[in-house]
Amino acid sequence: MYRRWLWPGFAFPGVLWLVLLFVVPFYAVLGVALGTVDPILFQPVPIWNPLEWNVGWLTEVINRLAPGGIWFDVGIRTVVYVALSLALCLLIGYPVAYYTARHAGRWKGLILILIILPLWISYMMRMLAWVNLLQANGYVNRFLMFTHVLSQPRDWLGGSASTVVFALVYGYIPYLILPLFASLDRIDRSHLEAARDLGASPWSAFRNVTLPLSKTGILGGAVLITLPMFGDYYTPNIVSSSPRTSMIGNQIDLYFHGGPQPTIGAALTIVLAAFLTLLMLYYMRSIHRAQRAVGAVGAL
Amino acid sequence: MTLHPKERPDGTTRRDFLLRSAAGATLLSGAGGLLAACGNSTTVAQATGTSGEPVGPGGLPLARPDKRVVLPRWEDPIESGLKPETGGTFTVYNYPAYLYKKLLKEFGAKYGVDVQYTPFDNINSGLARLASGAVTPDVMEITPDTLDIGVAGKLVKPLNLDYIPNLKKNIWPQLIDPFYDGESRFTVPYTCYATGIAWRTDHVTEDIAGMPQPWDIFWQSQAYKGRVALLSENRETIGMALLRKGITDINTEDPALVNQAVSDLKELYGICNIKVDDIQYQSVPEGSSWLHQAWSGDMIAGYIYYLPKGTPASALAYWKAPHGKVPIQNDCFAICSTTKKPVLSHLFLNYLLDNGVAYSNFVDFNGYQPPLNEIDPSSLVTKGVVPENLADSVLTDEDLGPDSLQYGTLTSVGQQLWEDGYSNFQAGGGS
Repeated sequence: MYRRWLWPGFAFPGVLWLVLLFVVPFYAVLGVALGTVDPILFQPVPIWNPLEWNVGWLTEVINRLAPGGIWFDVGIRTVVYVALSLALCLLIGYPVAYYTARHAGRWKGLILILIILPLWISYMMRMLAWVNLLQANGYVNRFLMFTHVLSQPRDWLGGSASTVVFALVYGYIPYLILPLFASLDRIDRSHLEAARDLGASPWSAFRNVTLPLSKTGILGGAVLITLPMFGDYYTPNIVSSSPRTSMIGNQIDLYFHGGPQPTIGAALTIVLAAFLTLLMLYYMRSIHRAQRAVGAVGAL
Repeated sequence: MTLHPKERPDGTTRRDFLLRSAAGATLLSGAGGLLAACGNSTTVAQATGTSGEPVGPGGLPLARPDKRVVLPRWEDPIESGLKPETGGTFTVYNYPAYLYKKLLKEFGAKYGVDVQYTPFDNINSGLARLASGAVTPDVMEITPDTLDIGVAGKLVKPLNLDYIPNLKKNIWPQLIDPFYDGESRFTVPYTCYATGIAWRTDHVTEDIAGMPQPWDIFWQSQAYKGRVALLSENRETIGMALLRKGITDINTEDPALVNQAVSDLKELYGICNIKVDDIQYQSVPEGSSWLHQAWSGDMIAGYIYYLPKGTPASALAYWKAPHGKVPIQNDCFAICSTTKKPVLSHLFLNYLLDNGVAYSNFVDFNGYQPPLNEIDPSSLVTKGVVPENLADSVLTDEDLGPDSLQYGTLTSVGQQLWEDGYSNFQAGGGS
């Protein structure tokens, strides 16, 4: 009996953590999104009983996000920004993680520390630092003009989409590199040697062995950065503050920032969570398949 | 037999996934209709009273400059002649950096308390935190358009003006018995300001003040693309677009007017890639913004703190519309219902209205003008407190009055209308 419960018992702290810090808060957001508003204080009044839920706010949010709704553009914009940022993070992060895992040798530790180093400073401070660097007369423009890449200063902070995407990439890329590095570092070199022995070119070995085997790391890192990016609002606020570059997170912030409809913010959070759940399901399914595949390759 | 990852042993292809995702998205988009069939409500509160008149939170009447309202006391004020509480902490709840800490320390030293400053993002969220019990301040800043929430929610206490003699002694007559709080039952005024336009004269070449409709400058600012911004406040942005069209009812709840104003604001995306922020007191003096909707106190604060060395004061300019066409507002202070030091809280309000204290807070710290009789606008310029080109930033008691424009409390329906309009503008969608 004791042995029967011993190993499952190790999961208890994790389950408790999940219940207290995810399930309960999420249900609270659901209660708020499907609740009402205090008529005097404009505070959300959550409804806990699902039989009494008020779907009015949720319907309103879905209608606004639908084609022709006032949030359709901002929804599409958010997806595009996140997709572009993720692609750039992968383009930059994969080679860094690959080099660190495979070729850095004794410098591996130092490179990892350098990757983690920016995380010692708060995200907000790092973004504010970039605001200074990207000023018209900031160091970025000065450098680009010195090297003749630009003939005149570029207005990076004038509400440009590229600056927001760049800032998202800068802010989140370390969170992609670390799981990617862990995944690449774990790949058994004998698999590559086997591929090369069988006549594969370096590129072919990478494409057919390394890349598939690092899929769990790619997906893990991608999930780690895309989920917070979808809810990000301070990055566009700090480096742009143009409505033309605002994201869904800015709308959530707007409605939670005081006013008579905090429930709209909660309902939008729920819809965003539902969308992200779809991505998570794909991730979980892919991980499951990749793990089976890794097991299969390992058995070779 | 071993399988390669590309052989996809569990069957589903990427194509299948995309097809299923598309089906899911279709289902999701249809969910709106299904949910609507369940019955729903997005009504926040009753917007009209028993006789059909528009009412604010708690059914309180809506105050307007030409319609004075005396708010009902929900409890009796404290008795006169009580001694102030001493010891412990005294908490001031306000916007960040909006009250001179040196003055707070002096007050604490005078009454033997440790003065703590707790900031909030804005009054609405500040009231929300107060109502939730997350904070227990003694006094807080409040605005006329949020006062109804404070009173109806029993979040601010009625005042006993016997403890606040400086109100009658030092403050502009219009604010001793203000339209939004007749008899000063709950508040005393703190600062006053107008909403206008701030700009950099070294970049913006137009004579904004001389234009037939100076607000039009935002719609003619193609040359300053990326350097033009509006205040990130729903009342201010939509209100400005209304004023530009000559509509002076800045408390309108007519959806056609508000929606047209939002539509006008959205034109600014293409004209100047309009930005929306609240850092005009810094961005204009520092030159990162050249044209910004701004409060009058911003340029004075900007001149004091943020104008870089070597940049002349003449690089800054400020315009506000003439009386009757310019939005004027005043911030107030009130005593929170959470206070354990009600007498000391009254004395703090009186302290804020002291000529020396209020003047020091203005010229030595935040740049926002207190409504003191003693302040002579012309002397502010001659003394060099305010540079001549920013003289328009200074207000007088004549700027107030029944024919002035002030943002007042809206009904819950009106608040939803303005909030959703602002959300539409902020979403940056097709103009």
